[in-house]
Amino acid sequence: MNTSNIVSPENLVYAKPELMNDMYMHYCPGCSHGTVHKLIAEVIKELGLEDKTIGIAPVGCAVFAYKYIDIDWQEAAHGRAPAVATAVKRLNPDKMVFTYQGDGDLAAIGTAETIHAANRGENIAIIFINNGIYGMTGGQMAPTTLNKMLTSTSPTGRDVQTMGNPLKIVDLMALLDGVCYATRSSVHTAAAVRKTKKAIKLAFENAMAGKGTSIVEVVSTCSSGWKLSPTASNDWMVKNMFPVYPLGDLKNI
Amino acid sequence: MSEELKQRSAEAKIGDSQITLMKGNEAIAHAAIRYGVDGYFGYPITPQSEIIETLMDEAPWETTGMVVLQAESEVAAINMVYGGAGCGKYAMTTSSSPGMSLKQEGISYLAGAELPCLLVNVQRGGPGLGTIQPGQADYFQTVKGGGHGDYKLITLAPNSVQEMADLVGLGFELAFKYNNPACILTDGIIGQMMEKVRLPEFKARRTEAEIRKQCPWATLGKSADREPNIVTSLEMDPALMEMRNIKFQSKYKTIEENEVRYEAINCEDADYILVAFGSSARICLKTVELAREEGIKVGLIRPITLWPFPSKAICEYAQKVKGILVVEMNAGQMIEDVRLAVNGTIPVEHYGRMGGIVPTPEGVLDGFKDKIIK
Repeated sequence: MNTSNIVSPENLVYAKPELMNDMYMHYCPGCSHGTVHKLIAEVIKELGLEDKTIGIAPVGCAVFAYKYIDIDWQEAAHGRAPAVATAVKRLNPDKMVFTYQGDGDLAAIGTAETIHAANRGENIAIIFINNGIYGMTGGQMAPTTLNKMLTSTSPTGRDVQTMGNPLKIVDLMALLDGVCYATRSSVHTAAAVRKTKKAIKLAFENAMAGKGTSIVEVVSTCSSGWKLSPTASNDWMVKNMFPVYPLGDLKNI
Repeated sequence: MSEELKQRSAEAKIGDSQITLMKGNEAIAHAAIRYGVDGYFGYPITPQSEIIETLMDEAPWETTGMVVLQAESEVAAINMVYGGAGCGKYAMTTSSSPGMSLKQEGISYLAGAELPCLLVNVQRGGPGLGTIQPGQADYFQTVKGGGHGDYKLITLAPNSVQEMADLVGLGFELAFKYNNPACILTDGIIGQMMEKVRLPEFKARRTEAEIRKQCPWATLGKSADREPNIVTSLEMDPALMEMRNIKFQSKYKTIEENEVRYEAINCEDADYILVAFGSSARICLKTVELAREEGIKVGLIRPITLWPFPSKAICEYAQKVKGILVVEMNAGQMIEDVRLAVNGTIPVEHYGRMGGIVPTPEGVLDGFKDKIIK
């Protein structure tokens, strides 16, 4: 069989999103970031917002998010993305402004900026990657690290008595009047990917509609940081992360 | 002037040509609205809270469309400035010493990403929580780079309420000319004292099309005719990062060559010179008068730009005088720049009060006699 008979527009079932740049990703195999990037690129295109979107990149593994999606970006200082996004949106109310942050960025050093932007009900979307670890700096303990979980700064496992408990920051944010949408999803199966895409789309639509702050937490894997293979990471996430960070909408108004 | 601006001037509580009595802090707020500033982001701290209070009272979002936001912290406020500046908007924040310490991270990022914006530090005495009384001990922090990395802040030092109003416009002008943050370094005296001021004329806020033209790097949404704009200070390749630093240094050199501003008062026939900035310079004006009444020919050099510093002018005057006294409300900070300019050719001594104590003209004169004439 000749492949040229098969590769034709009418047979197209999947394509690289138009807004994804042609370059190698620095993410590790099995990492959730790449999938979430792809979903964001797809949603921006589907909503026709590519000339109206400003993304705010974090410090963490996604520090280079701006290299991969073909839109305007600002690179924020560690944890400060919601403050940066606040001003970008307030000064440009007709734009779609979103932050993309990891758990160290959003739930540790940036807690104040996150809570207060959400409490003001800034019309922004926050895409929150929670893999329970500081991936970029080499797998240190994050506020979201699970009880007894091994990291390079909790080498015998997180002791919640002395090191604090896993921070369920999206539960906290769902309580705030400024938040219109708080949801938790994942990207470890095709069905989960589709659900997450819907969530991102709703979050971006809310930002444009001026409904308040939306947060989409994506419970994610970090195979390098967890020292597991990509498939074992998925299994580990389902078994250990989901009970602490259960999937589903926490708020949708 | 457009019809809209004419109307705005006509409706303003304070007319364009009217001379009004107000605090330095209030003058900053009024000047910002009139300059067409897009966003102010601040956090209350004494002795500068009148700036955000005046802005909230004036409610410019109803007239010019200017955004005024009270942030949850100084850290958030400076990062809001980063966000606004990254869109090419006129964004500003104001604070006082302890608050400025919190902003240093953001200032380094602003300098590293080459974002133009205006900062105002209405200084108080330190260190730590210090006092709410005036001080000038943030000279090093502002002029030498209080955050990490090799960067410079264009630093303007007003000595009157009128200059508080005027330097807002100059600060933005220089910031946008060089894509660099600018800072008004003032203190609790100028911020709190009331003086006559003539406010600048209303300018229209720029349209998005005008900003896109003026700031082609601004993140306002990627149009089909250009590559994405990325506002960042990050560069992982050390060779490229060094190139970036070299570019910064070359820009700083251009600023040093072109933007020095200072005032020389009674220096032509002077045997001695005082060097002071801001409110210390106001006090020294009287000292010059007192000294001359006693027959001592004293002049005053007042740097208006603390960076770039008027090193050349001071060096030239040093050839003609017998000694220089640097007067500051700190333990001796600007004196280092004066000494570098003079390079050991004549004695350069320091007279300073600290911790919120304001020097008197007589005290400065005594200090001058004690340290310079001997």
